Amino acid sequence: MANNSQLLHLKIVTPKGIFIEDDVSELVAPGKDGDFGVLIGHTPFISSVRPGILKIYRNEKPDLYSLMNGFVMVDVDKVRIFTEIIERPEDIDQNRAERAKERAEKRLQEKKEDTDLRRAEAALKRSIARIQLSEEGFH
Amino acid sequence: MASLKELKERIGSVISTRQVTSAMKMVSAAKLRKAQQLILRARPYSDELNLFLNSLASRNRRQLHPLLHEIDDDEVKNVGLIVVTADKGLCGAFNMNIIKRAEEYFQDHKDKNIDLICVGKKVFDYFRRLNMEIEAFYVELFNKLEFEHSRDIMHLVTDKFVSKKYDKVLIVYNEFKSAIQQNIVLKQLLPIIGLKEDTKDKLAAYLFEPSAEEVLDELIKEHLDVQIWRVLLESSSAEQGARMVAMDAATDNADEMINDLTLEYHHLRQSKITTEIIEVCSGAEGLQ
Repeated sequence: MANNSQLLHLKIVTPKGIFIEDDVSELVAPGKDGDFGVLIGHTPFISSVRPGILKIYRNEKPDLYSLMNGFVMVDVDKVRIFTEIIERPEDIDQNRAERAKERAEKRLQEKKEDTDLRRAEAALKRSIARIQLSEEGFH
Repeated sequence: MASLKELKERIGSVISTRQVTSAMKMVSAAKLRKAQQLILRARPYSDELNLFLNSLASRNRRQLHPLLHEIDDDEVKNVGLIVVTADKGLCGAFNMNIIKRAEEYFQDHKDKNIDLICVGKKVFDYFRRLNMEIEAFYVELFNKLEFEHSRDIMHLVTDKFVSKKYDKVLIVYNEFKSAIQQNIVLKQLLPIIGLKEDTKDKLAAYLFEPSAEEVLDELIKEHLDVQIWRVLLESSSAEQGARMVAMDAATDNADEMINDLTLEYHHLRQSKITTEIIEVCSGAEGLQ
């Protein structure tokens, strides 16, 4: 059993309230420049987030969540995550995510003049993160 | 004078209207509670984000972010005006107040080129009927508010602002004061004003990834997004409050009407019975 001084204090804040406030042993977050892991004693830093999977280790097996965007603020003994949308595997409607993915892919391929490419791309990334979570999340 | 049957039907229809208005009043009260809770819950998020933003924006004073660039009022030529009303009516002067305020703005700034962005079905329908040019519209969103809505609006206005199509972006909406009071507010969204100078630089010890500039850029957009989100929540709370008051008044009026009509009905019925008795009596007398 890890003792308390080995744990990171994690707080995830969303506009709909505090999503998680808990002590965890490790987390892996999808940073803009690639995934990064955080253990206790990390150098303080702030990173923005890309759509992807957030892994939180409370014990051997991590809990998985999908993040859409936001910021991670790492201190020596605590981590705060600010995000608009964070989801648990059970929140995800896989069919809906698949459909959104197809729609976004189609929009990107057609490249019509009035298509907002950045929005389509963002939608594609979001749906991929959701699909990934619903496939891996329950293992 | 109306016949007994007509009166009875009339009373019946007022009673059923009363049932509808009193049910709507209760639904609005429940929705109002929910919307207010959402406002409260958004507070820690936007407060913490603001602290974070103030400190980072103060640090980068030298190279000001494009969304923070202010220009003189005389030089403002193109304005994006976001007008927020409800999707539905039956809430008193709620929608009309906002539309009037927007029209006032058009009147006062005829020298400027104003792009209209409609949020809510009521304002969209109104300006479309007048054949006004509508730059963008978002309707049927208040039933289930999602972050995608505020994010879409945020992207639209920031893109136009950064590409210099807009010099200024304003938003007009109903601010939630209390369940019975709404304030009409015209607020500037872009360029962003009102950031507090933070000389201490609380974030000096932090490294940034990918870079401080990129984090600041996203932070500013997030800040704007949260502002729009809060405007949508405020407007939605104010709408429910306004509807509650309107439906309460309608229920009271219906009660009064039911009383009056019932009284009239009794009068009529009584006089009819009296006439019948007289007829029966005089008939019986005639037989003797």
